Amino acid sequence: MLEHDVLVIGAGLAGMRAAIAARAGGASTAIISKVHPVRSHSNAAQGGINAALTDRGDEWEDHAYDTVKGSDFLGDQDAIEVMCKAAGQALIDMEHFGVTFNRDDEGRLGTRAFGGQRRARTFFVGDFTGQALLHVMFEQLIKSGVRRYEEWFVSSLIIEDNKICGVMALEVRTGQIYAIRAKRVIFCTGGFGRVFEPSTNALICTGDGIALAYNAGAELMDMEMVQYHPTTLAGSGVLISEAARGEGAYLLDKDGNRFMEKYAPNMMELASRDVVSRAEQTEINAGNGVDGCVYLDCRHLGEALIMEKLSQIREIGIDLVGCDMIKEPIPIRPGMHYAMGGIRTNVDGQTNLEGVYAAGECACVSVHGGNRLGANSLLDTIVFGERSGNHAAAACRDTDYVEFDVDKAVRNEEKRIQDFLDRPQNGDRIAAVRLGMGESMNRNLAVYRNEEGMKKTLVELKELEKRYETVPIENKGKVFNTDLVFALELGFMLDIATPIAMSALDRKDSRGAQARTDYPNRDDENWMKHLVIKKGASGPELSYAPVSITQWTPEERKY
Amino acid sequence: MDVKLRVQRFDPEAADPKPYWEDFTAAIEDNGTVLDALIKIREDTDGTFSLRCSCRSSICGSCAVRINGHAGLACKTQAKDMLVDGVITIEPAGNMPVIKDLVVNFDGFWDKIMQVEPYLKPEGPEPEAEYIASNEAMLHLSDVTSCIMCGSCFSDCTVLEVDPSFLGPAALAKAYRFTADPRDGDENGVSKDRLEELNKPSGMWDCTRCMECVQACPKSVAPMDRIMAMRDQALQAGFHNTNGARHTEAFSDSVEHSGWLDELRLVPKSVGMTNITALVGYAPIAIQAITHGKMPPIIHKKLPQSKNIRKIFDKVEGPEQR
Amino acid sequence: MKYAFFPGCVSRGGCPELYPAAKLICEKLGIELQEMPAASCTGAGVLQEKNELLGDTLNARTFAMAEALDLPILTICSTCQGVMSQANHRLKNLEYRAKVNTFLAEEGLEYKGNARPKHLLWVLIEDVGLDKLLSLVTRPLAGMRLAPFYGCYIVRPTEALEFEDHPERQDALEKIIETIGATVVDFAGKTRCCGFPILTINERNSMAMVGKHTSEAKDLGADAMITPCPLCHLNLDSFQPKAAAQAGRPIGLPILHMPQAIGLAMGLSPDAMGLKRHIVSTKPLLTKIGAGAAS
Repeated sequence: MLEHDVLVIGAGLAGMRAAIAARAGGASTAIISKVHPVRSHSNAAQGGINAALTDRGDEWEDHAYDTVKGSDFLGDQDAIEVMCKAAGQALIDMEHFGVTFNRDDEGRLGTRAFGGQRRARTFFVGDFTGQALLHVMFEQLIKSGVRRYEEWFVSSLIIEDNKICGVMALEVRTGQIYAIRAKRVIFCTGGFGRVFEPSTNALICTGDGIALAYNAGAELMDMEMVQYHPTTLAGSGVLISEAARGEGAYLLDKDGNRFMEKYAPNMMELASRDVVSRAEQTEINAGNGVDGCVYLDCRHLGEALIMEKLSQIREIGIDLVGCDMIKEPIPIRPGMHYAMGGIRTNVDGQTNLEGVYAAGECACVSVHGGNRLGANSLLDTIVFGERSGNHAAAACRDTDYVEFDVDKAVRNEEKRIQDFLDRPQNGDRIAAVRLGMGESMNRNLAVYRNEEGMKKTLVELKELEKRYETVPIENKGKVFNTDLVFALELGFMLDIATPIAMSALDRKDSRGAQARTDYPNRDDENWMKHLVIKKGASGPELSYAPVSITQWTPEERKY
Repeated sequence: MDVKLRVQRFDPEAADPKPYWEDFTAAIEDNGTVLDALIKIREDTDGTFSLRCSCRSSICGSCAVRINGHAGLACKTQAKDMLVDGVITIEPAGNMPVIKDLVVNFDGFWDKIMQVEPYLKPEGPEPEAEYIASNEAMLHLSDVTSCIMCGSCFSDCTVLEVDPSFLGPAALAKAYRFTADPRDGDENGVSKDRLEELNKPSGMWDCTRCMECVQACPKSVAPMDRIMAMRDQALQAGFHNTNGARHTEAFSDSVEHSGWLDELRLVPKSVGMTNITALVGYAPIAIQAITHGKMPPIIHKKLPQSKNIRKIFDKVEGPEQR
Repeated sequence: MKYAFFPGCVSRGGCPELYPAAKLICEKLGIELQEMPAASCTGAGVLQEKNELLGDTLNARTFAMAEALDLPILTICSTCQGVMSQANHRLKNLEYRAKVNTFLAEEGLEYKGNARPKHLLWVLIEDVGLDKLLSLVTRPLAGMRLAPFYGCYIVRPTEALEFEDHPERQDALEKIIETIGATVVDFAGKTRCCGFPILTINERNSMAMVGKHTSEAKDLGADAMITPCPLCHLNLDSFQPKAAAQAGRPIGLPILHMPQAIGLAMGLSPDAMGLKRHIVSTKPLLTKIGAGAAS
């Protein structure tokens, strides 16, 4: 019997940090991930990690205020305080673990400017900070003695009497189904970017954990808040880091004008992401772009700076669109990037389900509210990953495993999977249904939204769910059956697409990432509240939760 | 644009499992990548086709395959650049057993990474704040830590092809990432324990300097260059008692003193002048060489002006440059 | 057509038959060679592992000598080619070159960055031209199946070797084989390592490499293997019997340094090409092309 006090699902930064903390807290700990840990999407965070270091004359309160303002006052200020207070130590811990942060002239950690912040407090490793952090975290995971289930896909949760007992998982390499018993389960499964097409997100970002938790009765929060990143590459839509603008790059329209002066005269290109993305979209819609894109111009930064600090995104431009940013502006556009919303948790990662935790992008604490600041996501993963791991380990000490019929659980799951495989081969292809969903979401739940479009998407999602019931699985084998995995992932994505669209339709104001053309203003009187969505007997059920306000009174947002 | 691909397939559950070739055509954008084409095959043509891929932007390290015989990331390679007689040939990465189609078993790869104890091991006390280190040192390390563990170097390593016990380019580059880290090891940043381990057989001296890893690496980690730098670290740290170290020093000595290579003396100096067994082992080769008129000259003549070469050695190897 | 000649150490040391063979065919091709007697070893990548700056300085010294002669450099050694190209690539950096030049000043030398070291293989294709080579072929090696063995240094890393500007370098050896009338035996090992650099460090692995590549080519029906590198030649020929013993199978594949094969096709005598000094007998090969066995 596979059995662990704490089982962490997902081995990105949040997951590994949680597992290391739980192990250090004395719990027998395992981590399970559908990909090898270093393949996780934390890799893709490029620009850096925020922290206010007091020995640099920075204060956590300033960082917290920038974060609150960035969230368009929808972030919970108590949670934001927790994150920003912990940031300095979290950063130093990562440095001590071995991250090769860029330095200043005195050999101390160097910073770069980032969007929506009044001072440079973003610590970085070139333009591959996430990858640097992820690999170092994996080193620490190796050292910690946490059991790793690599390339195991969690297909369902085992819940008895509303209590978590463990998970069912498919070992992808063999096709075997296992039950893994656990006292505490921590979801660190990342975002749901692939619900949208295109997206900066990796192909693995299918919101599995959010869907699993939602289907088990967990509350989701802020699901309408989907961040469109201002600089995603033409075509494939992969990310071009905000670090480019942090280092001084310009955004230009088709005539070479720096249009941001119209939208954010003080912060210009470094306004918060929602503001910049809206500005770009407005310009593109007004015909001031080229082929649906505007330009990111790095030429004046010079070759030396680009090679030292932006070399990876330069390569991406060359590899994918044949454009060298040293020599020419590169075509970019706003693109789906990050989920502010997710599984609702408190500051210790606890959800409304006993024994179930969440941290990182799949969770909603909510520290990002309506719009996440660049370089706050890496911080979020590390701070709340650690807190979840600590809390779960402590909670295990006087808890027993919940008994369940293991054989029956395995048999049931095997049958469910076999039924999937045995489907007739006459339905639509998996990819066609996924593309239908992604394009509908990107059409109607993008930078600008309105009631008509969102309603249309909700109707389309219903049709797609029907089509999903008959998607065939061509691969009948057991060994590395990615066809089966994609089918299961598509099911998860469809499970959460509707809650996203429903939440967005329900919120009748414009705030953070949600900009409604039919409700263009922020309406604090009626909508200064979180949307919470939960699976009910007859579909998703919406409710509201207050926003925590500690010391920063909501005000009009200007950059 | 339609691209033709010739893909090596393997189904371990087939009645008679063995690799076979299958041809596909995939419609992709003109500047589409090899990965775009492979995904097209999987999504539109054949759902049984398995490969790993995720980020599409050269950072997750999932999609290393052999493209026209050489390892690289499918997502970093433009399809139009890879057409040879109108076809792109795709095989799974090498030096790892195939699980299914393009999916290979990385266990051997990771075992070697684990062998180098891949985490920072400072010997002194941790500072309260960050370690103070120069930006230059960190940038140098970042070139190495930008390794994404994709296995391209491992796939094409010529030593691993004949000797699975070799640590291999990825693990050695990972080790260098620590031996070159001013925070690792003693107060001077010297990681003597690591170097001692890496100095053993199957370690740094077994690299044959073929540069396959330098060519294959999609992230400019240049593993072989790191291995060479590590050899210097080992020599500097006083590890001279290996054939590799002796070979390097004898070679260097020969060039320093004569300007060119004294092959006759290089062999015994490398295996060790007191290593009688090994020396006897070379006797038949030597006799063969003599009988075929191939013996290098017994008297190794110095090049004209060889003292100038010696002076360069003094200057470049001198304390000022070190 | 005149070049500063850089033969490298092995063609004068461990395989002394290669140097005169190369000189002879150059003469036939109308290539004038000016020796640089004071030019040092390139370091062969070995010196570089001890101290890259030192290796680059020695190569910059050679480049400066060739610049002083106002001649391009010709080498017959792939390893020398690779090491020189890599050094030259690094020496494109002006700051670095200035530093290196400080070490050369005492000897009155300065490297200005204009050297373009070229292997005879590339010279044949890029400067001499295959037509010219073809016109000198009097005894085409018809019916002979030759396996090209590039080794490492003349194919990697492609950036330093400027393959982007010279795509023809990728299959230069195959073109030579076809021009001299032989048939190409393509095989997977052609750009792999011959094992020479680890010969004295890990002989088992070195022999495994020799055995793998020679037996692969042999099994594909090759009559001989042709290589542009004296180091590959040395290991693949001199150590082939030992490799065969380790592999537990007979191999017996003659290894020709590229100039030797060209010389044969030009009608030069097997003796002049040094073929009797090979460890693996070249007799069957010579019989096949009607050149008679080397005396």
